[in-house]
Amino acid sequence: MSLRPWRVAAIVVAGTVLGLAWNAFGGRGIALSGNAYIKPGEDVVEIDAGEAKKRLDKGALFLDARPVAFYEMGHIPGALPLPEDDFDRAFAGLEPRLRNTLDIVVYCSGYGCEASHIVARQLREKGVHAAILHEGWPAWTDAGYPTKEGKQP
Amino acid sequence: MKALRHPALHWLLGIGLGAVFVYASIDKIEQPREFARIVYHYRLIGPSASLGFVPANAFSVALPWIEALTGLLLIVGVWRREAALTAGLLLVMFLVAVAWALAHGIDVENCGCFSVSGEGRSAGLKLILQDLGLLAVATVVAFVSPRAREALLETAPAPAPQG
Repeated sequence: MSLRPWRVAAIVVAGTVLGLAWNAFGGRGIALSGNAYIKPGEDVVEIDAGEAKKRLDKGALFLDARPVAFYEMGHIPGALPLPEDDFDRAFAGLEPRLRNTLDIVVYCSGYGCEASHIVARQLREKGVHAAILHEGWPAWTDAGYPTKEGKQP
Repeated sequence: MKALRHPALHWLLGIGLGAVFVYASIDKIEQPREFARIVYHYRLIGPSASLGFVPANAFSVALPWIEALTGLLLIVGVWRREAALTAGLLLVMFLVAVAWALAHGIDVENCGCFSVSGEGRSAGLKLILQDLGLLAVATVVAFVSPRAREALLETAPAPAPQG
């Protein structure tokens, strides 16, 4: 009984066809061109402080959408400034890094601030997906998570 | 080497290897979104600006079914050698992916081997050793041809010539 290579190809092809069919008709498939980090039908992802902390510990990139002055007074450790009021210039400097990062979280001053949503929307227009920290900076400090002062991330 | 050619050994190794592959496929088939995120973490086939999301997503939905089919064939013993070769090629691919992640300092917290939940195993040296073990089994089943039944009988003392 000799080894027939075409059967290996047949197994791979059949498995692929089954997988794609199950994804299309199985009821819990994913959009093949979509980001698996974003749930279907959801334009943006909002996460709470606890989830944000988990992602920070896993190496997620945090972006501070507030004006730079606020950033210098205190920010999430490791976060980079991407102020909404100076988006284009800041984005140009960060673009290569953002395009190579899969897990990005944007935050702003919280309690109804819109800067993080605006930044996330502008990022999305450039093809970069970012989650939003719900209620932003206050949610982070209220939870007692670490912060950092100054210009350095 | 003679023992490696025993048909019963191939039967057992096929069932064992097949069970591992079927088991590995279940969680991924049930939770494609979570598995896709794990595939993203390896950063081998995207998503990236140049590749987009399609290669990583298509891989995420196809791989578990290839694993399941390979495992089922190994268990029932149909196309056993070719299924073992497929399993071997998949294992080589997993080894390359894990080595790549380790070499690039990518912390793949959950290797996505058996479970897609947060409690999965990390991609490390232990995982490489385990994959090599499975690869050895796959290699035996694929490339060592088991003796045919008739050959087994031939090794028994020849019956006395008649007449």
